[in-house]
This record gives sequence, C-alpha cells and structure tokens, in this order.
Amino acid sequence: MGEVHKSRSIRLLVFIVIALAAFFLSNVVDELRVFQGASLSVYIVAIASIVLLTGYSGQISLGHGALMAIGGYSAVLAHNHWKVSIPISFAIAIVSTAFFGSILGWAAARLKGPYLAGTTLALAVGLPSLANQFSVLGGEQGLAFDVGAPPKSLGSDFTQYKWYFWICALAALIIVWITQNILTSRYGRQWRAMRSAPISASLSGIQIGRSKVLAFTISSGIAGLAGAMLVMTLNLVTPSAFPLSLSFAIVTGAVLAGVTNLGGGVIGALVLVAIPDIADLLAGKMGGAEKISANLPGFITSLILIVTVLLLPNGPKLSKLVSHKTK
Amino acid sequence: MFGSIRHKRSLVAAATLATAALTLSTLPAQAFSPHYEVGVSASTIKLGITIPLTGSAAPGYNKVPAAMSAYFNYVNDNGGVNGRKISLVVKDDAYLPTLAVAKTNDLVLKDKVFAVVGALGTANNKAVASSVNLGRRGIPSLFINTGYSGFADKAKYPTTYPLLPSYIVEAKIMGQYIKDNYAGKKLGLIYQDDDFGSDAQAGFKAAGVKFDVSVPYASGSQSAASGAAWVGKLKAAGAEVVVVFGVSSATGVALAASAALSYKAQWILGSVGGDATTLKALGVPAAILTGAQGASFLPSPGDATDEYIKQFQDINTKYNAGAVFDNNVLIAMNTAMLTVQALRAAGSNPTRAGLMAALESKGGSFASASFSPILYSSSSHVGYTGYWIGKYNSSGVMLPDGGKYTLYTTDSGAGAVNTVASKRPAMPAKGLPNN
Repeated sequence: MGEVHKSRSIRLLVFIVIALAAFFLSNVVDELRVFQGASLSVYIVAIASIVLLTGYSGQISLGHGALMAIGGYSAVLAHNHWKVSIPISFAIAIVSTAFFGSILGWAAARLKGPYLAGTTLALAVGLPSLANQFSVLGGEQGLAFDVGAPPKSLGSDFTQYKWYFWICALAALIIVWITQNILTSRYGRQWRAMRSAPISASLSGIQIGRSKVLAFTISSGIAGLAGAMLVMTLNLVTPSAFPLSLSFAIVTGAVLAGVTNLGGGVIGALVLVAIPDIADLLAGKMGGAEKISANLPGFITSLILIVTVLLLPNGPKLSKLVSHKTK
Repeated sequence: MFGSIRHKRSLVAAATLATAALTLSTLPAQAFSPHYEVGVSASTIKLGITIPLTGSAAPGYNKVPAAMSAYFNYVNDNGGVNGRKISLVVKDDAYLPTLAVAKTNDLVLKDKVFAVVGALGTANNKAVASSVNLGRRGIPSLFINTGYSGFADKAKYPTTYPLLPSYIVEAKIMGQYIKDNYAGKKLGLIYQDDDFGSDAQAGFKAAGVKFDVSVPYASGSQSAASGAAWVGKLKAAGAEVVVVFGVSSATGVALAASAALSYKAQWILGSVGGDATTLKALGVPAAILTGAQGASFLPSPGDATDEYIKQFQDINTKYNAGAVFDNNVLIAMNTAMLTVQALRAAGSNPTRAGLMAALESKGGSFASASFSPILYSSSSHVGYTGYWIGKYNSSGVMLPDGGKYTLYTTDSGAGAVNTVASKRPAMPAKGLPNN
C-alpha cells in the first residue's frame, strides 16, 4: 500500500512541475506558440479519451469528433443560457457527453471491430450537421462562446490567447491526472484483462458488458471536455468545428504514441498541432497554392496513420522500452 | 519496482523542462524593429484576406484574391505606396466560420499582417470579430465583402470597415422597385437562412413588401436537388416575380432548376449572387438569365464606356492573365484601389491606428467605381449606400433601366428610398491613386 501511495504522490508532484513549466513557458514564447499550446491541450485530452477507450477497454471509436461536438454545444448552451462560469460549463459538458456516451456505449458493447467502427463513424458524419436543423443551435453560423477577457488582475499585457492556454492547460492537466489514476485503478486492470482475454476475464468475475459501457461513458465524458475546450479556443461552436477529419486526427494521435500510452498522447498531440505548419511549409515548396495547403493536412494525417500502423504498431521506441521493462 | 524507475525518469524530464523554461524566461523579449508597425517593413506592406477558394460557395469569389493581387502588382510596378510594395497573403476559409477563425488567427499570428482586407462572408466576419477579436487587438479589417448591416456598428466592431451597401439597403431599394413596377403580382423570395437573409427580410419589411412564398436555404446546402425543391415551392404558390437573395451557387442552382422545370418568372437577383459570368459557369442557360433583373452598386462590368471599367479591364489583361473580367474582378480591383488610397492616406510610416484615422477623415473622398458616396467619418463606418437597377441582356451583361444609371440610396433604418444624381470622383490617371 505504501508503494502505491508513494507512486501517487510522485505522480502528483510531476504534474505540478509540468504545470509550473507550462506557466513559465507561456510567458516566454510568442503568441502563436501560446495559442498552439491551447490546441495542444485540447488534443491531449481528446487523445486521452481514445487511449482509455481503445488502448484499455479495446473498443474502437471513429466518432469521438461527434462526442466532442456534444460537449462543445452543451458547454456553450449552458454558458449562454444559464450564465454559468467556465469551470461549470466544462463540467456540464463532461456530464452531458458522458450521459450520451453511456447510451451509445450500451449499443456499442454489443458491437465489435469494424461494426463498432462503422457505427461510430456514422455518428461523426451525421451528428454535427444536426445542428443545422434546430435554430436554438445556430445552424452553420453557430453560436458565440465568449468567455470574456482575462481578469484585469493578470495585467494589461496578458493576452486572450494566454488566457485560453491557461484554462486549457489546467483542464488538461487535471483530466489527464484523473485518467491516469483511473487507468491504474482496478477498473483499468479490468479493462486490460477484458481487452486481452475477454473469456478468461469474464471467468474471473468481470462483467464484460458493464465494463465496456463504463469505459465508453468515461471516455465520452473526457471527449466532451475536449469539445468544450476546443470551442472555447474558437470562441464559437458550429458544425464545421467538428469535421470527420477531427475524429480521424485524434485516433491518429492516439495510435501515433502507442494507443496504450497516456503520456505518449503528448507526442501525438504535438504532431497534430504541427501538421498544419508542416503542410504550409510543403505547400510553400510546391508553389504556395492555398488550394494545396488546404487539403494537405488531411493527406499528411492519413499518411502518418498508415506509416505508424505499418512500422510502429505499438508506438515509437519510448513505449516499447517501457513495455519491455514491464515484462 | 519498475514503477519507481519510470517515475524517476518522468521526474528528471519534468525537472529538465522546468529548468529550460526558467532559463528561457530570463532572455529578453522579442526585439522588434522599433520603427515600423506589424506587417510593415522598409520595403513592404503585408495584407491578408480570407475568402472561399474551395467548397460550394467558392465559384466567383475564388477569382477575387488574384484580381486584388493583380491590381497591387500593377501599383507595385509603378512605385508602390510611398516606395513600399504591397503583398497579399491569401487564405481559403471554404465559407466556414471555424476555418475563417483559424485562418485569420494564422494571418495575425503567423503571417503578422498589417491589416485584413476584403474578408468575405457575414457569418465568417462575425465569428472572426468575436473570436480573433480584431477590435480588441486594434487590427483593421478593411472593406469587408459582406453587406450585413450590423458591421457598421462602430462600438461592436471598432476596427471593421464595411464597404458594400447593407443588405437592408439593397432589399429596401429592391422592395421599392417591386412596389413601383410589379404591384399586384404574386411574389416569391429565396434567401439564406442566417444574418445575410434576416437583413434582407428586414429590408423588404421596411419597404412594405410581403412575399406570398419565402424559401430559406441553409448556407452550404445548395445542390441540384435542393434547387428543384425550391422551384417546386415557388411553382406551387404561383409566384410571378421571384427575388433570389443568395450567394452565386444558390442563385445558379435556383435558375438552373427553373430552366430544367420550365418554370417562368420575372427573376430579380441580389447583387451577391448576380454575377452573370459566375452563373453561366455554374450551368445557368443564357436564355433564363436574359430579361432577369438585378441590382448593383458598381457599374456593369460589361460597360467599356465607363472610365473605371476601361482602366480595370486594361490592368486585368496585363496583370491577371486569362481571367474573364466580371463583377468579382471588378469588386476586387475596386477594393484594392481603395486600399492603396487608404495606405497612402496613412502617411509615409503607416500605423494601424493611423490607417483607420485616415479612412475616417479622408475615406469619403477616395476615388472608387461606385456611383454611391462612401460615408466614413469619425462617427460612421457605413460605406456605400446606393444601388442602380438593371436588366440582363442576351449576352449576360446587366444594363441600367432606361439606358442610364439611376442611383437609389437609402439607409439601414426607416429612411425613405431616394433617387440621386450619380456622381463620383474621376478615375485617377492610369488608375494610380494620387491622393
């Protein structure tokens, strides 16, 4: 027991050190990097939801973009109609998306492999455009989500982007810390047992169905938070904020870092944030046509996904080393 | 036991990161050149634009950036603006507000432009205003390509300068025209279901025009099938005069569908979707366009007797190889010429604040192709306020009713629609501003 407590407190210490480092970094780098830091936090949270779902419980989802949309719209509606604060609107996003996820998970627990992928994919295609059908959701024009200027006490040169970054980074650190604790808890162990050997897991008393629904529910809640963070950085929620490519991007990010590795999610998120820059660079080399750079990111994401699955199915070396050692 | 090794490693990593951060924080802040505003150097001025180059709304609009660059290059080859060459960074937003936000962030943070010029779309500009918050940052957004009346609200959009007459103005003028010429006919309206369309409805309401059938469409949803559905509704209601207040792609779909379904009506096309070249490229048969009516605030692009058109056509031939000279090219060049005048007026060492001050004090006197005056002042961000009404001939050129341009002007409020004598500053020699 002492060992567990010790490792938990060390983990907490690590998170606090990272938080301090992020805080100092946000004061030094330029605004673009600060804004990218906010996007990075969004991706880290979204990837964490996939790691929990796919890496641990063994269920596939190509529809997490749709779950992010639910989180995004919930946060905005709560913020705009009930005038709740940002943390509360984020909490509402988590709860409402988790609720939706539990229903979805109930259906998903009966599906396997490509069927589950297909079902969730349909969700990613269809759900965000539902917003066009209900005027309360603002159609393609969307709804504004103004979290306001940073508090005056932070100083006059504290930019809006830094404010986004602080909120997103804090939310990401908290949720990743919680996720890490869930994954090392008995639920995490149950999920892993269920993923690797469902029959022996059920023989040892794990209720497969319930366990799968629980994983889907928690994963959805995390995705909902990512959605709320995303729309905050955009100041706006519209269906086009959750394209199909977003669902693919976060799966790519998770696969990239070895889908069972929460810490590796940071690498996946870094790559996702860097892709548009790389695309711009390449498009510049290819004559700089804006038409090329608009389509290149999707192409690069797909390419990275294919190459990773072919060459590094368990993520880069780092995770191999760790998994080797855990033997 | 592996756990402790792993944690030791993450501790070391975190500590390294923290040390690096602390070391970096002691470095001096970025050393910017103290003499120039962001986006301005000794030899260049960098501007940016977001506009749909791909997606369903792209046809027509995708010609705008090249035509603007063509005019800027023409000016650059003739000495530039106070010796500086203008460059235009173009970003495709596919007519999606989220992309417009992301791309404008890029323009501001990555490309570090001096100002945004000609950004297109009502929903897009609204999203950018609230998200990127150009107002709070003091970044000018000049001559935005939308007629949403709300953008003239200086308190809400302090750095935004609309140029187009508002959609309310356009709808009021059209409404008056319909009352004068088509009284007693059954009326139909196709409009975009967002602020663009709600402005139009407000204008028609102010003019006292009631439509027997109204067909809203969601932005980005237009297809041949939806066109057939719209025409079906118009046909069922027996509409004899139909106003299309939409983007080119929606207008094209509506006209093509009515040709296919042999539905005959007197069409009145809003200025946004009324460019004949774009409509023809979208598959609209010439026959259905002939006799249709439209409204415009610029002279007809086919009118080579107009000194502005003639000069712009000349620049288009030399600097914009291969582009057909249409309304999109005309608006682009007109916007670019106003931009050059604004930059000149901002002085030899332009700042963002100086640019906006110059627009407000001198913008009303700038040379531009429209017959309508520009109403910029220290208390107003309203641009043009007038339209003329015309009819498309068999070659798709819209010519003014009765052979000469009659300008109708009004405001976005309850003001009356007036007829005014069209007057404008002469085109500067060779199309090069000398203000």
